[in-house]
Parts: sequence; structure tokens; C-alpha cells
Amino acid sequence: MALLEIRNLSKYFGGLAAIKQLNLDIFDSEIVGLIGPNGAGKTTLFNVITGFYPPNEGKIIFRGEDITGLEPHQIAQRGLGRTFQQSLLFMRSTVLENILIGFHMNCRAGALKEFLHTSGSRKADQEAREQALEIIDFMGLDPLKYKLPEELSSGYQKALAVSIAFATKPKLLLLDEPVTTLSPDKVEMIMKLIAKVRDAGTTVVVIEHNMKAIMDFCDRIVVLAYGRKIAEGLPQEIRENKEVVEAYLGAIG
Amino acid sequence: MSKVMMVALGVLVLLLIVFPFGVNPYTVQVAITTITYSMLGLAFAFTMRVGLPRFDIPAWWGVGGYTTALLMKDGMSFWLTALIGGIIAVILGALVFSIAIPRGMIPFLMIGMVLTLAFYQMYGSVSLFGAWSGITNVPPPTIGSFEFVAKRDLYYMGLFFLALNLVVYYLLFNSKFGRAWNAIGSSLRLARSVGVDVVKYRMANVLIGNFFLALAGSYFVGYYHAALPAVFSFQSALLVMVYLIIGGFTHSLAGPILGALIATFIPQYLRVEAEYQTIFTAAIVILILMFLPLGVLGWVDQKVKPWLYRQRWYARLNKGKVLG
Repeated sequence: MALLEIRNLSKYFGGLAAIKQLNLDIFDSEIVGLIGPNGAGKTTLFNVITGFYPPNEGKIIFRGEDITGLEPHQIAQRGLGRTFQQSLLFMRSTVLENILIGFHMNCRAGALKEFLHTSGSRKADQEAREQALEIIDFMGLDPLKYKLPEELSSGYQKALAVSIAFATKPKLLLLDEPVTTLSPDKVEMIMKLIAKVRDAGTTVVVIEHNMKAIMDFCDRIVVLAYGRKIAEGLPQEIRENKEVVEAYLGAIG
Repeated sequence: MSKVMMVALGVLVLLLIVFPFGVNPYTVQVAITTITYSMLGLAFAFTMRVGLPRFDIPAWWGVGGYTTALLMKDGMSFWLTALIGGIIAVILGALVFSIAIPRGMIPFLMIGMVLTLAFYQMYGSVSLFGAWSGITNVPPPTIGSFEFVAKRDLYYMGLFFLALNLVVYYLLFNSKFGRAWNAIGSSLRLARSVGVDVVKYRMANVLIGNFFLALAGSYFVGYYHAALPAVFSFQSALLVMVYLIIGGFTHSLAGPILGALIATFIPQYLRVEAEYQTIFTAAIVILILMFLPLGVLGWVDQKVKPWLYRQRWYARLNKGKVLG
């Protein structure tokens, strides 16, 4: 059984079909690259899967459960994390606090119970802190942990965004353009981090325009254009696929 | 907390306790008013933290006030009426806000205004609440045979309520609630994407505020001995916001208190006539928005703190500690 199953998914904005009858499976422990020209529906797909938009048609099944129509926080609590194209961060909190929010909020422990058991809550806070520091260490952000996001370079800000989503301990992580605008050395830093995340047991789907990053790090590639899946396969196959080339460059001749 | 801070806090508490002995009763009355407006301002800053500006403060303040006035006239203990008022405010709030909060900030804001106007109308028209004349001659609060009548005693009672309010808010801010609220106030979308149930946490925030607003209303009637519609009016809602702007809205605990202090004491000190006080407050707000948009505490953060850190004597006091 696939980790994520998308069946006959459609999303319309007025008369415009952003996603049309999409069928897609994502399996355990793979890194899938999601590519396609601008406006292909990639970010919309992420938004529909994570509950930010309701679909017009179709089903989304995650770990065997139908999550279609659930609220974003409910989907996040079931182990599906994501980042945003604009690399959203909690700007008023330190790096450590950012990670703590990601980790703590996904803890099943009730806020009221924690508050009333003041001795228990101190223990819970201590544990959360320790786990957050582990995550920070894993992601290589330790020297930055007391800094505010605005003090970080864009490369580290993007690393932080990925880390916050990772702190929720997801089974599936959807990353929206995690390396866009970064220099090649930073691209490699982030992509290596993503591979590390996958090796730790989290499946990753990456939307990207950086072809080198996609080809070098993804196990499988899915190509979207005009809301439809036009190709799916290994990086080498996709590279040689005529339809894909046409979709990006426009028909030749 | 650093040693300097603890000493400063200790001195402050001492001054607060000794204060009424060194001044005339009229000044103590002003302090009582400051305490009331501090509590109202705390409630406004509290919901601002989760991105919800609340215009319904007079409504719930009135729930506490009228509950205390009505039940004390029937002979109930002041403290019990305060608790009941708080509970009523929470239950009614849960009913109303279960509709308002899921719809977002603007509907919440509008419903807040409607609540203030509707409650005001209800307090003034319904004979149970004494219509426009209100309920007067409410007996003073008691503990056993001791009556809270003297200004000084009412001042200490106020300090108790204010301290309770501050302690509970402070503990909440440093709990999972506070963490969730910070996330919500910072980025709604990001908060949702990491599993924060925004509606649930906003609801908890607003209803906790409701409880303390009602408590403030009970305290008010405890010293004013009357509940009148004119007190719980839309104008009070605006005044509360204005005081918070003066104090600095980015500081949820100190901002409202400082703002209330400045806005109630300075007109007294300058002996502004009662009719001109509102104009005076308006003038202060305009000046603040022009020169100190983040309020007095915002100015302290931006100008005073950096200056302080550069002083040799301050660095020596905090030897070895990370500043800022």
C-alpha cells in the first residue's frame, strides 16, 4: 500500500482547472521530485493535500486513512508536514523556539493537562527542549539556535523552514521550492539535509525548478503541466521524454 | 531573573503596599481607577497576541458588574458573585464565539462591536438591570465582619485582582498555550501546518480573557457601589485601546498597566478639568502615534535599552551575562 494515494483529484478556481483528474502514488522512503512549468498546479496540489484548499473532486488517502476535507492542523497531526514557497518562519522567535513550536505542537499531550500539572509541565518542557536540541543538531543549526530568523542568511532560513516541518516528526514531508534562489553550495547543503531526512525514515516530495538538484537527489520524478500528470519515472527517463521538454520550452516547429 | 531585576521588583512591590499611606484618599481613588483600566487593557492585549482585536470589552466587564450588583442586592457574598459573573461570561462567550472565531479576525472584530452595543442597549432597557438608572446602593464587599469601604482597603483588593490576573497570564504565556498563541500571532498558515488548532487556542484565549473581564466588572461595582449602562459603553472600549497604545501594545503585561498609569495620573497631576480629560487623552494619543508609535515601552526597547547596554556601569552590574 502506498503512503499517499491521490485518486481522481480535481481542483477548480472558478472556470480554471488547476488540477484535473490527477492520480498519483507516493511510497515509503523515497524522494520524489515534482516538476513542471509555472502554473502547472504543483503548489495547488500541495495545498489541497495538506487541507488548505478543499478539492472539488477526488480523494486523498494517507497511511490508509481518507484525509480529504480535513483541516490543515488535523492533517499535520497525522504525520504530514510541509513548507511554503515563501519560506514562512516564526519571525519573532529564536531558531530554538521555532523548532520547539514545531515539535511541541505535534505532541499529543494536552495543553490544559500540561498547564495544571505544573511539575509535569516543567518536565514536559525540559523533554521538549532536549528533543528540539537534538533536531537542531541533526539539521546542523546548533551555532544559530539563539538567533532570530532575520539574522540568518536566506540559505539558513530555508534550512530552518525545512527543520520546523521536520520537527513535527512527519512520515511524509512536502517541500515547496526549498532551494530556489540559493547558490549552488547552499543548494547542495539543503539537498543533503533532505537526503538525511529521508534516511531517517521520512518520505519527501520536493517541488523544484532547479533541474540539477532534482536529477541528482530524487529517486523518482513526476511531471505536471496544466493540472495534469504528463510523465512519471526515473530521472534518466524524464530527461529524455519529449513531452516534458515541450511542456517546458513550448512545442518546437 | 537577574539580581537587579529581583531587587527592582521587590522595591516596586514595597512601594505599591506603602503607597496609600503617603498620599491623600483622592489619589488612592485614582490608583483604583488605574487598576480597573489596567485589567481591561490586559484583556485587550491578551487577545491581540493571537491576532484578534476585541471591541467587546465593555460587554463582559458589564456582565461581571451587573451580576455582582444584582446578586449582592439579594444578599450574596461579593466573592461568590464575582465567581458566578466570571462563569457566566465564559459560558455566554463560548456560545457567541463558537460562531465568530472560526470566521476570522474581521468578523470577530465586528461581532465584538455589535456585542458592546447590544449589551449596552440591554443594560439600559431591561428593567431587571434597572434600565438607564442602573442598580445603585450596592453593599460593599465583606470578608466575615470586615467591610471593604475605605479607599485604602479597596486599593489593596484591586492589587489582589490585578496580581491574580498578571500571575495567571504570565503562567499561561510560559506554557504550551503561550507557545501556540505566539505561533498563531506570528503566522497563521505556518502554525496550522505544524498542527496548531488555531480555532481551539483562540477560543481558549478569548474565554480566559472573558473571565478576568467579568472579575474586573465585579471589582468595579465593589468600589463604585452601582452598575450603570453609561459606564459599560462603547467609549470605554476605545479608551482601553488608547491606553494600550500609549503604554506600548507589543508588551502584553506591562503595556496596559503603564498606559493606564500615564493616562489616569498625568491629567490629575496637571490638574486637567474633568470635561477636558478626554480631549487631553486624545492629544496624548496623537502625540504618541506621531513620535512613539510603539508606545512608551516600544521607545524603551528601541532607544533606552541600547543606550543602557552601552553604559559601563550597567555592563559591570551584569558581568558575565549575555545581554539582550
